[in-house]
Amino acid sequence: MDVLTTIWADLAGQFLDPRKRLFIGYLLASLVIALVWMCLLQRYSPRAALRTFFARDIWASRSSRQDVICFILNRVLFRTLAPVLVTQLAIATLIFHLLHKQDILALGVLESAGYWIAAGTFTIFFFLLDDFSRFALHLALHRIPWLWAFHKFHHSAETLTPLTVTRTHPVEGLLFTMRSSLVQGISIALFVFLFGNQVDLLTVFGVNIFLFAFNALGSNLRHSHVAIRYPAFLERVLMSPAQHQLHHSEATRHYDRNFGVALSVWDRLFGSFHHSVAESMTFGIGHETGRFTRSVWSMYWSPFRDIWSRCRRRLQGGSVSGARLLSSRRDREA
Amino acid sequence: MKTRTLLLGFGLSVVAASAHAADIYGPFPVTLKGYQGEKTNSVSYSGQVARQLLHNSLKKAVSSGASLDEMNSYFNGSDGTLVLLDPKSSDSFKVDVTDINSVSKTNLSGKAYKGIISGWPGNMTGKEALESMISMAAETGGYDAKHGYDYTQLVSKFTMGGVFYHQACDNYLDEKMNADNKPNDKPYKDGAYYTGKEHSWDEAFGYWGAAAHGATMTPKQNYDIAKKKNMRDADANGDGLVNLKSEMNFAHAYYASGFDKGGKTDYYNTITRAFIDGRQVITDANGEKLTDAQRREVKRHARTVCSNWEKVIAEAVFKYAGSVYKNIEAVKATMGGNMWKVSGSSAESEHKAAVKKYAKYWGELAGFSLSLHTGGVNLGEIGVKMDRLVGMGPVMPDGTQVNGMSDGAYSVATGKSLDKFAVHMLKIQKLMADEFDVAAMNNDQISGIANLAEKLGSGTSAEND
Repeated sequence: MDVLTTIWADLAGQFLDPRKRLFIGYLLASLVIALVWMCLLQRYSPRAALRTFFARDIWASRSSRQDVICFILNRVLFRTLAPVLVTQLAIATLIFHLLHKQDILALGVLESAGYWIAAGTFTIFFFLLDDFSRFALHLALHRIPWLWAFHKFHHSAETLTPLTVTRTHPVEGLLFTMRSSLVQGISIALFVFLFGNQVDLLTVFGVNIFLFAFNALGSNLRHSHVAIRYPAFLERVLMSPAQHQLHHSEATRHYDRNFGVALSVWDRLFGSFHHSVAESMTFGIGHETGRFTRSVWSMYWSPFRDIWSRCRRRLQGGSVSGARLLSSRRDREA
Repeated sequence: MKTRTLLLGFGLSVVAASAHAADIYGPFPVTLKGYQGEKTNSVSYSGQVARQLLHNSLKKAVSSGASLDEMNSYFNGSDGTLVLLDPKSSDSFKVDVTDINSVSKTNLSGKAYKGIISGWPGNMTGKEALESMISMAAETGGYDAKHGYDYTQLVSKFTMGGVFYHQACDNYLDEKMNADNKPNDKPYKDGAYYTGKEHSWDEAFGYWGAAAHGATMTPKQNYDIAKKKNMRDADANGDGLVNLKSEMNFAHAYYASGFDKGGKTDYYNTITRAFIDGRQVITDANGEKLTDAQRREVKRHARTVCSNWEKVIAEAVFKYAGSVYKNIEAVKATMGGNMWKVSGSSAESEHKAAVKKYAKYWGELAGFSLSLHTGGVNLGEIGVKMDRLVGMGPVMPDGTQVNGMSDGAYSVATGKSLDKFAVHMLKIQKLMADEFDVAAMNNDQISGIANLAEKLGSGTSAEND
């Protein structure tokens, strides 16, 4: 009973913690933004907008039901794993200690900068590094075949709802957790070393100010069927929900585009930028979708089976067709 | 002397009228069965006050480059007049003592810790370590620039621990609170007007070093009294003098008030009130042997005293580890990025001054950390870690560090890194935070990281984008 209570509390916590994407406040903000968008710009009546937003064929689809199961399974798994994972505190402490062994940056050299400069630069630096690292890991998940095997888990979603953000293979979840710890560790250690203990995170309701803005401005619509587009100039800086939906598109011309999260500048720098498009899209991983999502078990197990098949074929002097089982997304386009 | 006692009693009564009686240590009535004398107050700890004065004066003597004989007169005691060097009367802070022997003729050496202090070179007992420090202080004028030893700080801080903390928590509040040791139905010694338990408890209070009325004041008031800046609040009986026997704050009580000033801790009051409450339990036994329940209650107060006293010392270790850490950077800054490139007389003097300051803080750190071993608690692995991190000496800019003693001379290890030593200081702070639950955390160099990590929140999740 205690276990069930703990699991329930953890799941509920995902919707009650403003530091989480699925915080109820952000979900409501996204709903409001979506309805305003549909009513004002797409000329939907409020009733039609609501009906479209909560369309049964999206929210009750097989894909969305799988999202719910994955959400619960992943939470249970990560709650169990959390105590053994390396924390950002351990990494920050290690890096902080290592910084004492170099002579380029002096300890406390910026201590006189004052609170606002210290906190402001830390918050901006952390936001940029965090966003870039998400982009970089996401890029790697698409370009490196064995990582794509796991990331297919996320892209196998045929309908997108806010919960799809948690439709992630645990191996990918581990990578994202390690990324987060590393980015936090680097940022904290570097800034405390340079600015001393005055370093702070600028927050709104206890949440990183940038994270709050990103989420309050409709981040949950990235995984939705509401294709909110930004003006072209803005999409060149900030990733619109429609740009991320394009990232999920099955169309080969949209493969490996728009890896960014909050900022789209990384995609421009690395040549993967794509403006949003005014066309209807289907989501998934093409002909592999059916095989991959045959069952939830299959979704969790398939990546390992595919990697094993590839390794076995390699060892047996394998065939090209075998190797393609593990091709990256770009390979499939070719 | 009798007049002074009466005045003190009257003064404390006046203070008691305006403050809760439980906030003042004494007067407590004479409860000794069969006592026929005139004494009405059984509180007595003049021997401990004299040792507080010996310690203050010894510190002054070491810092002024006094001779070995003069320093030893304060450490071992001396016949005749023993001039009080600190606190001395000034226009703004008048004290009632000029000769320590007029308070009580005693010494520090006889009460120093007799166990081995493994964190100090030479495998010496606490007493021998203090003797060695004093002897080295005489040879070097108080500061050994080669090894980075500031003997003023080392002698002072380790005397506070190795004599005061040790005597109170490893003796008077420990074995002397046992049933058959210094029982409450007998005088402490033949002819005494106080019982065994009463006087044992009073002696421990004297080593703590708080003013009898200290718990009626704020940490700032107590701190300023110890700093000789607040005559008005110190002079509880209004006789125009600070009566050092009961109106002054010394040693660890002074440090406690310093930490409490920050508002996060209440060590001074917690300890002083536990002393008052414990003494009340003994007084309430009315000259009879303590019952098991009374002794349990007394021991509970003793535990409160000693666990908080230990924390006060751990807070000091934490604070000075932070000071050492910051001063390592200050020393490095005077080395121009390369320790061998200090040149020019002003740069060299600046460097020497920075090293001296660094050594001062290390001396405080070492004095306090060695003290933690002397309170009767076996620190085990924590103690070993602490000693290794603090080291037997500070790492010097040339990469040397004392690692032992041979034939009366320090031996040194070479190739040590100042940077690594700085990291040791961070680890000491973490050790104090983890193992002693320090809360004042002055000069904190580690919480910034933990606080930010907490604020950013755990990255453990299965979300992606």
